[in-house]
Amino acid sequence: MRTIPRRCFFYLVTAWAAITLNFILPRIMPGDPTTDLVQRFRGKLSPSAIEAIRILFGQPHTSLWAQYIDYWKNILTGNFGISYSYYPTPVTEVIGQSIVWTLVLITLCTVLGFVIGTLLGMLVGWKRGTKLDLLVPITTFISSIPYFWFAIIVVLVFSITLKWFPISGGYSLDATIGLNWDFISSAIYYAFLPALTIVVASIGGWLIGMRNMMVTTLSEDYVLLAEAKGLSRFRVMFTYAARNAMLPSFASFAMSLGFVVGGSIVTEIVFSYPGIGTVLFKASSGHDYPLMQGIFLTITLTVLVANLLADIVYVFLDPRTRQEA
Amino acid sequence: MSINAAASIEAVEPTAVSAGRGMVWRRAMRSPKITIGLAIVVFFGLVAIFGPMLVHKDPSAVSYSPLRGPSGAHWLGTTQTGQDVFAQMVYGARISMFVGVGSAVVATVLSVLVGLTAGYLGGVWDEVLSMLSNVFLVIPGLPLVVILAGYLPNTGSLGIILVISLTGWAWGARVLRAQTLSLRKRDFVEAARATGEGSFRIILLDILPNQLAIIAASFLGTVTGAILTQAGLAFLGLTDVTQWSWGTILYWAQVSSALLVGAWWWFVPAGLCIALVGTGLALINFGIDEFINPRLRVAGIGTKKARKAEAARRRSVMQRRPTEPSAVRTPAASDVVLEIKNLQVGYAGEGTFTPAVNDVSLTLHRGEVLGIAGESGCGKSTLAYAITRLHKPPAEISAGEMIYTRPDGSQVDILGLDDDELRKFRWEELSIVFQSAMHALNPILTVGVQIDDVLRAHQPNMSADARRVRVNELLSLVGISHDRSGAYPHELSGGMRQRAMIAIGLALDPEIIVMDEPTTALDVVIQRQIVETIMELKDRLGFSVIFITHDLSLLIELSDVIAIMYAGRIVEVAASQDFYRSPQHPYSQGLLGSFPTLTGARRELTGIAGSPPDLRKLPTGCSFRPRCAHAFDACAEKRPLLLEIGRPGERRPAEAACLLYDPSTVSSGKGLTNA
Repeated sequence: MRTIPRRCFFYLVTAWAAITLNFILPRIMPGDPTTDLVQRFRGKLSPSAIEAIRILFGQPHTSLWAQYIDYWKNILTGNFGISYSYYPTPVTEVIGQSIVWTLVLITLCTVLGFVIGTLLGMLVGWKRGTKLDLLVPITTFISSIPYFWFAIIVVLVFSITLKWFPISGGYSLDATIGLNWDFISSAIYYAFLPALTIVVASIGGWLIGMRNMMVTTLSEDYVLLAEAKGLSRFRVMFTYAARNAMLPSFASFAMSLGFVVGGSIVTEIVFSYPGIGTVLFKASSGHDYPLMQGIFLTITLTVLVANLLADIVYVFLDPRTRQEA
Repeated sequence: MSINAAASIEAVEPTAVSAGRGMVWRRAMRSPKITIGLAIVVFFGLVAIFGPMLVHKDPSAVSYSPLRGPSGAHWLGTTQTGQDVFAQMVYGARISMFVGVGSAVVATVLSVLVGLTAGYLGGVWDEVLSMLSNVFLVIPGLPLVVILAGYLPNTGSLGIILVISLTGWAWGARVLRAQTLSLRKRDFVEAARATGEGSFRIILLDILPNQLAIIAASFLGTVTGAILTQAGLAFLGLTDVTQWSWGTILYWAQVSSALLVGAWWWFVPAGLCIALVGTGLALINFGIDEFINPRLRVAGIGTKKARKAEAARRRSVMQRRPTEPSAVRTPAASDVVLEIKNLQVGYAGEGTFTPAVNDVSLTLHRGEVLGIAGESGCGKSTLAYAITRLHKPPAEISAGEMIYTRPDGSQVDILGLDDDELRKFRWEELSIVFQSAMHALNPILTVGVQIDDVLRAHQPNMSADARRVRVNELLSLVGISHDRSGAYPHELSGGMRQRAMIAIGLALDPEIIVMDEPTTALDVVIQRQIVETIMELKDRLGFSVIFITHDLSLLIELSDVIAIMYAGRIVEVAASQDFYRSPQHPYSQGLLGSFPTLTGARRELTGIAGSPPDLRKLPTGCSFRPRCAHAFDACAEKRPLLLEIGRPGERRPAEAACLLYDPSTVSSGKGLTNA
């Protein structure tokens, strides 16, 4: 069981790299975010707020190392500064309010997309050479569509033309936020179209990857032997072919997850969904650097945790990883 | 020369394989996926390059006809400020394609540099660079790009290209590193290194050309990714919004609420074009994938339709023979358990049929070991798969019969069985042990479960406890301690894995076990132990064995009867002791002459000149003629038949297919004397 600790170590390194990147970028990029911010909010900022900006984006008279130490102190105490597009709310608070929406939406959609895509890919691979092969070019096309454009089309069809679903937002304004049925049902109703967009747009990639792996796995000797042994087709398809074919899909989860998360963030903007994507859009259009940085770190750390979870599942799926002693 | 002489036969590759590089590329071009993909990509490439020269409208010019739908004056309608969407699309193609291709070029160069350096230099370089690319892989790209673009004071195309390629190189680097690692160990690279070629030259001349397909795939993938990312960034307003790209069009459509006013023509074309270019690139990549991974290429052939067609043909053949009832035949009092008659198996191509097993007739007696030997590509494995009916299209059985006699004397033609009958027949009456246990065992199931699977499928009434007892019994039969039933294949040694395979084969007490080179992948000591186990079990349980191998000395020791195959035909059948003492066919003599024996007298190893023939272009007459030292004129004209050659003192008459023994051709009585 050395795999998991090793992966943990790797994710720690990655987290460190991401946080450090966050520190370095504003300092090496041309232009000076600090002066930019101070100039733009002249008079509005308290001296302590200006100090926070300097720690995050660069202090002219301090050594880089001292700046780095200060920066880490701020990160560890959860002080990401104050958001300017939501002035004077602290960044952590802005993110805290929106992250739940995104987490629920993206987690559900990613899992759904993966499960549906992998199952369909398994079927298409299993029935290779039949009409189901037509799904391959169709899903190729769908997976080449930008998420946000697909979202626009979905809104056009289901909200504007058919008027089945609301155009934007995360919940009905009549509902009071909390654990009551009114709110939850309206949240599900409002989330339906964004979810549909993300699931449909992400299925294609999983489907094609799984289909190709399935076709490759089907020519393995162990699948032939399973058939020869007279096992039921169900058992051959699932336990012998698909269980092996899905391993690479799972291994490349990290890369795909980043892609899905990126797509979902932009999707939120189209729906003005109250998640972190919409906030990022506001932050970037308002040059709200503290908020952008905070969001970047939050998303990265969340993706790292998701990857770790995927790695743990992988260990259960593939006995070979359990043995490495 | 060691006992590994066997390997020398294996090393003779069939010459038919090398079709030449040019052929492969031409075939790739004929793939409809690549053709369609190329057509799409080239079209948009041309639009990007020449489009703006041909469109005379200024995409930014405002006019007094806002929000008009598509018309003759404005092919794709107008925006809120009366700008021409078509002109914007054409100009947008230029920036979108430029950013896509540009980013992909930079990212690919980066990934080639990192991947090759890490893979080739290894050591600390590899550690650091791999870690770096893995880190970049895990960090979600879009938020990073957003941050980067946010800091850039000037977000023109060049800045965006830089940003996208900085975040998009990692995947290609990882794949290329893995490829380089495996290439580095190949012979030709080792050879180049041994001759003192410099690292740079080796990378450039020996490693890089072998990775072109992968580099191309990663390049095309990055183009798609970059176009999508650029569109996303532009849509977010993070690029220069006055510079027309497909993403910028969508940005203006979004901020002007085109959706709410129903101006579909404003945002539909841009998204469609992005998706089309992405599809085109993905189609080309599919073609490349199939080129890299040949298993995907045959995916369409191994279809159910093809199999059904074959089964239907079989059944109709069976029905046309009224004299033979298709399934059950009259009991025959004999100890023959399997009789193969005139079997022909071939590979169907486009309008061609290449027989790999031709007119093969063999008889297997109860409790007997029938050994089949021959060089690689002689058809012996095709025969093994055909006997178990495990052959997959394009292989197909085109003629013959395989009569199996049950212990109670009733007979059945294996080729006439339908799917359900075949499922029961296989494993209950006849099972198979594959060559490589490593590949034939499912890596994610324990050995015990893989045996249990057979029992569950064939004996649904058996209780779980009874099954467990049986699994343990089978494992101890083949010499595996029963507490290993919970072990995964990778936890067992090679020999143990092969033993587990045999246990699976024995699960239902079959009458016949077909063994296709079961010991080839093992070292000599283990090989011997496994063969001893097989022989012991055979004596104890009384099954018959068809043992297929190229290792003639092993075969002589363990089999009762030996059949030699050459170019798809049986050229000699004899009792193994007789065969060892006096092989009849010149090919058999050559084969035997190329093996040292473990116990017999010393003799000179001669070998056989030349290589096995191309099955598609067999010589006329006797296929062995070009390599035969005894060939004479008639050999070019007449195909020799398998004839009995009676010799005194033989247990069963030997049969050989050689004109030297055919009284009609050898009028002079010119017999063949044995060495």
